[in-house]
Amino acid sequence: MKAPKTSPVKRNVIVSSLVIAAFVALVTAALTLGAKTANPSDRADAAATGTATGKLVRDDSHRLGAAGTGKVVLVEFLDFECEACRAAYPLVEEMRATYAGKVDFVVRYFPIDSHANAVNSAVAVEAAAQQGKFEEMYKRMYDTQATWGEQQESKAPVFRGFADELGLDMAAYDKAVADKATLERVERDRQDGLDLGVQGTPTFFLNGKKLEPTSTQDFRDKIDAALNG
Amino acid sequence: MAETLQARSPVQTEAGTQAGRGTAWSFVLAGIVGLAAAFTLLVEKIALLKDSSYVPSCSINPVLSCGSVMNTDQAEAFGFPNPILGVAGFTGLLTIGVILLTRLTLPRWFWWGIQAGTTFGVVFVHWLIFQSLYRIEALCPYCMVVWVTAITAFVAATTQNVTSGRLGLPRRAEAIGSYAPSLVIVWLVLIAGLILVQFWDYWVTLLK
Repeated sequence: MKAPKTSPVKRNVIVSSLVIAAFVALVTAALTLGAKTANPSDRADAAATGTATGKLVRDDSHRLGAAGTGKVVLVEFLDFECEACRAAYPLVEEMRATYAGKVDFVVRYFPIDSHANAVNSAVAVEAAAQQGKFEEMYKRMYDTQATWGEQQESKAPVFRGFADELGLDMAAYDKAVADKATLERVERDRQDGLDLGVQGTPTFFLNGKKLEPTSTQDFRDKIDAALNG
Repeated sequence: MAETLQARSPVQTEAGTQAGRGTAWSFVLAGIVGLAAAFTLLVEKIALLKDSSYVPSCSINPVLSCGSVMNTDQAEAFGFPNPILGVAGFTGLLTIGVILLTRLTLPRWFWWGIQAGTTFGVVFVHWLIFQSLYRIEALCPYCMVVWVTAITAFVAATTQNVTSGRLGLPRRAEAIGSYAPSLVIVWLVLIAGLILVQFWDYWVTLLK
């Protein structure tokens, strides 16, 4: 014990601090370097899709009306059998009129398990979408929700009736409804929603950020803020 | 020769008891924290089994998501939910830690048992880390708490066994005992590095 040695505690503190400091320095360096090189392209990309993970808006995600400028994107995860979505529908319609051409309204399917016809209705809308009638079928679902919602038996025949009334090619519609790919398309939307932390419907994302409006006015204010920001 | 021996023995015993305290407290803390995490995971798992649409409290975003981790086959590696192992294992660890706090001297075979248990724990946890990062591609916060505690317990047990000469390693290796905390830090930093790299794109979006 002649040579004065540093205590084990002190040595551990020194070694640990050095390791952590080196790690933090490395991460900071990587971040600043990455931010410099990746910014221009990444930013534009992130602005267009709202999130760099791309789960919020897929290339084949449906838009209500014409695409806006891409500056403000409102994504709604919805379930056609959900009453709260039905309740939000007039507001969304109103905002679509107010912000036409300024805001992108993107719709994602998020069928809730407890609704017996949530998947059926989403598949029907998706089948209609394949014939370019997404919006018509979307509206029809909400307009008629009271007549088919909250029931246990399959309402697929009812939805088929809607398709017929909309003048769809029924052979193609039936084929699309039966096609596993249509269901998978709906399920992928739902999975994206789950991954994004969607827990119920309707869930809105404004420019990639989950929106929790306290009132309809608050909803509009937040969109206005995004437009002016 | 005589001088070195004389000088050595008091230092040795001092270091020995210190390491013993450190080991005991490491086991106690790892045991409590690990038990809490495993217990929470088990409760969440049961809630998920009761209602498949249940969203666990730790599903925060696409990367930090217990739900997507807990629903995998890997979450039942031995045919039953992993947290059951955790609840039992960490309870054992906690008990051993508390026993060690009484300064009770445990027989050699008991220490071999601790070594076997913590080694199994650390190997299993690293398999889970690999699965989580590169197969499931999501992180579950409670599981990560278990990773930390399993690594801590393993390092504490191993360094204690090395320092006390139970593993029959050369004397030079025994110095490692006093660096146990640093070893844990280095280990955790390495894993943090892997996590950062694997989910880099995601972490970057959080900054924007």
